[in-house]
Amino acid sequence: MAEILCRFDELRDGEARGLGPFDGSGAKAFIVRRHGRLFAYWDACPHYGDTPMAWRTNAYLNAAGDRIVCASHGAEFEIETGRCVVGAALGKSLTPAPIEATQEGAVVFNR
Amino acid sequence: MNIIGPDALVFGVDDIDACATYLTAYGLNPASVDAKGGRFEALDGTAIVIRRRGDPSLPPPLESGSMMRLIVYGVADRATVQAVGDELARDRQVQRLADGGIEAVDDHGFPLRFQVTNRRPLDLPGERINAPGAPAQRGVNHIGVWQDMPAKPRTLSHVVCFVPDIAAAEQFYVNRLGFKVTDRLGNAGPFLRPAGTQDHHTLFFIQTPPHMKGCEHFAFHMGGPTELMLAGTRFLKAGYQSFWGPGRHKFGSNWFWYFNSPLGCHVEYDADMDLHDDEWTPREAPMSPEASQAFLFEHREKWAPGGPPPPGAGKPGH
Repeated sequence: MAEILCRFDELRDGEARGLGPFDGSGAKAFIVRRHGRLFAYWDACPHYGDTPMAWRTNAYLNAAGDRIVCASHGAEFEIETGRCVVGAALGKSLTPAPIEATQEGAVVFNR
Repeated sequence: MNIIGPDALVFGVDDIDACATYLTAYGLNPASVDAKGGRFEALDGTAIVIRRRGDPSLPPPLESGSMMRLIVYGVADRATVQAVGDELARDRQVQRLADGGIEAVDDHGFPLRFQVTNRRPLDLPGERINAPGAPAQRGVNHIGVWQDMPAKPRTLSHVVCFVPDIAAAEQFYVNRLGFKVTDRLGNAGPFLRPAGTQDHHTLFFIQTPPHMKGCEHFAFHMGGPTELMLAGTRFLKAGYQSFWGPGRHKFGSNWFWYFNSPLGCHVEYDADMDLHDDEWTPREAPMSPEASQAFLFEHREKWAPGGPPPPGAGKPGH
């Protein structure tokens, strides 16, 4: 069953948004729109494994909007792959979240 | 050597606007801010300074990419600056600055500056409590908390760094700069107190792989646990992300509340730290959640007990 979270066109290119928690677990996720595509990851830095990444609501990206940054220790991640390229989580990757944009333009969470 | 503690930490950041917003919301006073960066002061003038990452006035960054670029130590007098300079010049380059300060790097390559401290003396009451069996600290008809009570960071307390070689870090600060080890968390590192303060620590190290080398967090002292809880609650309600706390550490006894930040490290409110002198014998405990805190809470929204009114409440005759 898919839960509609928001509409894809609400997001500007280079914008991120925190979502959740999902399934009553407390687990949150975030989405990023970049070059017209949607990327979604669990809001958990792979450095410690379960710690939240933004420094403020929806603040998941660097100033240029081209990298995800963990506001724990400044680890930087590629938006497209979730791979850490510098910092505390080097060699690790973000875990994709089951969130996608439908052809109708809805952003949905797939249970 | 009469080193007091950090007067300022200088960061080279990715997002000046974000950091300026953040540090102001945290409670520091934006003393001077422009497009190149800014200086954000606690009540005694100790500060966080931000500059752009590529600012040529900053020392070169650590290879890890850590945004902290300089630790500025305040010392008691010019003789101490001179003594630190002479000691470090034995085996490394020491830059003597026009304002009388000096700069050098520690054994992990962290740039350090030493200057005659520019802290303003504080004359403020601490948190006062009333406890049965003890004389009242807060007099009759003096209230302990109100919603808009001031809760501003008073002074820069400590900085914590990730380093790959704990022994080298400890030896440098103890043997070269006269810091004392107050306590040790095994597999993490030593709590270090310079000679010019009784605070349990102004410096702590955590052992990590080299790619993590850099600042883990910095903390400012608040006037007491109530100020810490108020400031943290306000910060949280403004949308900032709690990382750990509120709680109370065991070693140091300081209350803590850590938040994520756009400075590439955590930022802590702390309060009511233990004081020590040279008579103190260091304790040691393996690093663990149990050793790290006496208790830990998680924030939840305000709530109050209550229930529906009794039948007939509010009608004539009641």
